[in-house]
Amino acid sequence: MVDVLMAILVAGFTSGALYALATVGLSLVWGSMGMLNMAHAAMLTLGGYVAFTVITSLGLPIAIGFMGAILVGAVAGAILYFAIVRNLLKNDKSTFEANVMIATVGIGIALENAILLTYGGQPLKQPVSIAGTFRVGPLTLPWQNLLIIAVVVVMMVVVSLALGRTRMGRAIRATAQNRDAAQLMGVAVNRVYLQVLMLSGALAGICGVMVSSMTQLSPPLGNDPMLKAFIMCVVAGLGNLPGAVAAALGLALLESFVQYALGARWGFPSLLFVVIAVLIWRPSGLFGRAEIRRM
Amino acid sequence: MGAAAKPPVLQLDNIVSGYDGLDVLKGISLTVHAGEFVTVVGPNGHGKSTLLKTISGLVPLRAGQIGIDGQRLSGKPHETAMLGVAHVPQGDMLFAQMSVLENLLMGAYLAPDKAEITRRLDEVYALLPKLADRRNQIASSLSGGERRMVGIGRGLMMGGRILLIDEPSLGLAPLIIDQVYGVIAELSKAGRTVLLVEENPARVEDLADRLHLLDDGAIVWSGKPAELMARDELLATYLGG
Repeated sequence: MVDVLMAILVAGFTSGALYALATVGLSLVWGSMGMLNMAHAAMLTLGGYVAFTVITSLGLPIAIGFMGAILVGAVAGAILYFAIVRNLLKNDKSTFEANVMIATVGIGIALENAILLTYGGQPLKQPVSIAGTFRVGPLTLPWQNLLIIAVVVVMMVVVSLALGRTRMGRAIRATAQNRDAAQLMGVAVNRVYLQVLMLSGALAGICGVMVSSMTQLSPPLGNDPMLKAFIMCVVAGLGNLPGAVAAALGLALLESFVQYALGARWGFPSLLFVVIAVLIWRPSGLFGRAEIRRM
Repeated sequence: MGAAAKPPVLQLDNIVSGYDGLDVLKGISLTVHAGEFVTVVGPNGHGKSTLLKTISGLVPLRAGQIGIDGQRLSGKPHETAMLGVAHVPQGDMLFAQMSVLENLLMGAYLAPDKAEITRRLDEVYALLPKLADRRNQIASSLSGGERRMVGIGRGLMMGGRILLIDEPSLGLAPLIIDQVYGVIAELSKAGRTVLLVEENPARVEDLADRLHLLDDGAIVWSGKPAELMARDELLATYLGG
């Protein structure tokens, strides 16, 4: 019984770590810009394929594959800013949220299909993986899960330090909390938006590498984790980063337990049940603050 | 040499601004010289806050010119801040989830180095010692008076050429208003260049070098505070007595 429990915990923590990485990227963009980036799933997929190309086609080391995924993710975020977001911000601010959501749906579809055209639809094996297991007492744990958890923890620490300790991070948080006041302090908010999208893109890139290392590379790779990341964002309260991490880990553990107890097909419905319950009970999310908007 | 003989820090030439299709400011001209304390008084809803927001770039300028030390402003708030305009807005506009210290540090966002930030922080803590005690407290948990002090402290941390203060007494208890104006009086004594907007001219009678009366987006009278306080008909007509 302990073996089963520990296996569920390990599986839950591994997928929770992946969801957390995806959720933080989404939540960061929403919290600071009020933008639901529907292209985040495709950016995640892009990261996975970039690492695959760098390692397999170019024959470079895995570390360079990681760097490539981060770099291309950040560049994709910058392109998204310059091509779409910057122009939509020049229009009526009240229509920005809806317009940018629609625009990024289109970008996501285009990017996913560009990947399909380039690499084909057949699943590919991501070379970023560590075979084998290790034993802790009576438990046998895969190295791959440990790698994923370790990478995500490192990324979370880096993001946390970047937001909490650096001038750029303080500007991002200030812009998220009060855009006008941040501008009065001398913060160029458009530059902050660019930085946020690049940071979010970099997180999506590395998340794509990690997700594909657990499954396989395919053009719709990012859709499932993104759907769950949206759920976790909503449960946590949009824009709340620590809450997003907590919700990602909690819901992933719940999903693992439900899948074990009731069968795999009940995992996703259990998440939907939670999000519906949270929206009824606390519409602003478990960790979110109520927001009143004048229509 | 009197303050008015010095070159102007802030110069507004016939500025027009507003919201949507409505002009709120209808051609305002005024100057503030280095070390001067200038106040704009007027009833609610007649453009006082819009005036400061237009100077700092939060409300776009539709006509006229705004200059800082002879340099024309671009209208972008962050570039205006770079030129030394420190705006303490109405309602504080603090970063609610940041600590008092982080709010103050955001004020020094454009400061050139850490030594300068430390110098400004020491100066603010000397003027507002309560902020030092509250440095690790989250801004949203502060009282109204404390929030106002953080807003002023954050403005001072900007180390700007001119401080724009928007109705510092708004929504505060009389005792707290006295404390806030005590701090503002210290700024005046220290020779800070200040443009303050306020509804009640009695609050600035002993502080302001010059005073402008704003009505329906236009300046209808300018002079010394004591002169206005002696003009019962002006007070009755524009400020309800």
